[in-house]
Amino acid sequence: MSKIVILGAGISGHVAASHLRRKLSKDHEVVVVSPNSNYQWIPSNIWVGIGRMKSKKILFPLAPLYKKKGIGYKQAKAVTFHPEGDKTEQKPYVLAEYVAGEKKGTQEKVTYDYLINATGPKLNFEATEGLIPGENKTYSVCTYTHADHAWHGLNEVIQQMKNGKKAKILIGTGHSKSTCQGAAFEYILNVEQELRRHNVRDMADITWISNEYQLGDFGMDGMLMSYGSMTMKSSEMVEMIFEDRDIKWITGAGVNKIEDGVAHYENLDGEYKTETYDFAMLIPVFSGHGFKAYDKNDNDITDKLFKGFMIVDADYTPKPYEQWSVQDWPETYQNPSYKNIFAPGIAFAPPHTISKPRESKNGKAIFPSPPRTGMPSGITAKLVADNIIDSIKSGKASLHHKGSMGNMGAACIASAGYGMTQGSGVSITTYPIVPDYEKYPKTQGRQLGKTFGEIGLAGHWLKLALHYAFIYKAKMRPFWWLIPE
Amino acid sequence: MTQRISKYQRFKMMNPILQFFKFIYLSIKIMIVVAGGHGGTRKAN
Repeated sequence: MSKIVILGAGISGHVAASHLRRKLSKDHEVVVVSPNSNYQWIPSNIWVGIGRMKSKKILFPLAPLYKKKGIGYKQAKAVTFHPEGDKTEQKPYVLAEYVAGEKKGTQEKVTYDYLINATGPKLNFEATEGLIPGENKTYSVCTYTHADHAWHGLNEVIQQMKNGKKAKILIGTGHSKSTCQGAAFEYILNVEQELRRHNVRDMADITWISNEYQLGDFGMDGMLMSYGSMTMKSSEMVEMIFEDRDIKWITGAGVNKIEDGVAHYENLDGEYKTETYDFAMLIPVFSGHGFKAYDKNDNDITDKLFKGFMIVDADYTPKPYEQWSVQDWPETYQNPSYKNIFAPGIAFAPPHTISKPRESKNGKAIFPSPPRTGMPSGITAKLVADNIIDSIKSGKASLHHKGSMGNMGAACIASAGYGMTQGSGVSITTYPIVPDYEKYPKTQGRQLGKTFGEIGLAGHWLKLALHYAFIYKAKMRPFWWLIPE
Repeated sequence: MTQRISKYQRFKMMNPILQFFKFIYLSIKIMIVVAGGHGGTRKAN
């Protein structure tokens, strides 16, 4: 009998838990440890943030589902890692602290045979002074509660505009190394459309602010893509959309401080500037959770497990941008020191960024961190689960399933406005996610045709269809596994 | 110079009948890209 412990119940953790439970007999134990009581479909937070979808539509409670499916569940947060056990516990374990219920505040050694760290990122708002969701007129759409607050904030500004007050809206990244530009891109287009729906568009100045060198970088160094019968750069595509929607933009901007209605930033020219606003949605930088790890003698071995995020089978050798390669990126998400620990999704430490690193004239690093969206999170979680299943069933370690982001496609269906007849979406697929300049030297490291963009109403329907399909899948309804990650 | 979205392009983008067929086409195309498999990148492992 094996015991598999999964830390986190986001897209990655939940995908791993559901596949493990489906494919392993009940002799084996699958336990999820997560501080969150609900599963949330994060991509739809955008619609919660514009008041077009209630947050209850994008979440469901985990406990009843896990009970029904025979998955153990502890509403607790991981505190420390003990991959060799300790003097009193022979088995490896994670020290977890309950965050709700009768056991709240108590700690428990959760032992395991295999550990999947799917804790995702810490939303590091503290890294930018004054960037606090719901304060200083800044908001976030990173969680459903943040998105709910964002809608209340936006609605207040809409009402003020209806009463004749002009407003400035600022949306983008709130730190020089933030990622997830895609979410901010979706939100700015949805906000713009909502302002038109409320007949106040002419009362608002909308500005995009981002740490990207160029529009359309999305933390992936931009893309050369097929667009209809043309070949177009993602920067040109986004510029076309922003021009069409009358959205201004500031790129190469590292926001470093927020005051009430004022964003301070440094640009790549080394200039210190400010941008005022009445409503802002700024994505924070992501970081690891700061976990500590100890060996059986209680010595600190954090360096063996973590490098901010968790260390996996990537090549972390520091080297210049010109020498980066897709081979640097992990394939199995296994920790090299402890072979029974894996970190799929956002929990693994990337070997380097995907976008070219850039510094301001003052030496400040201003460029996006690598994004890892829902699709690669789900795919990497499934392959980790499959390798564990193979290892358990065959009785010997198996790493047959591999999935490098340098050999994986991803789709980003970016909502550009809500509505069954008035909605819009920007559908972008990228193959591979990490550009392979050796394989595709003339097309910026990507395969044209498989890397394409489309704009239109169909994109909105597609995003809506994915919303319902993935919530169906997450609820583990009949034949859920037929829906790919 | 920035490419502009023409009136004709906008008509095509928002026409529900054209977009219905685009929806089917995109669903299949995205499925091919995403569910078309993934793997490693290293020759020897």
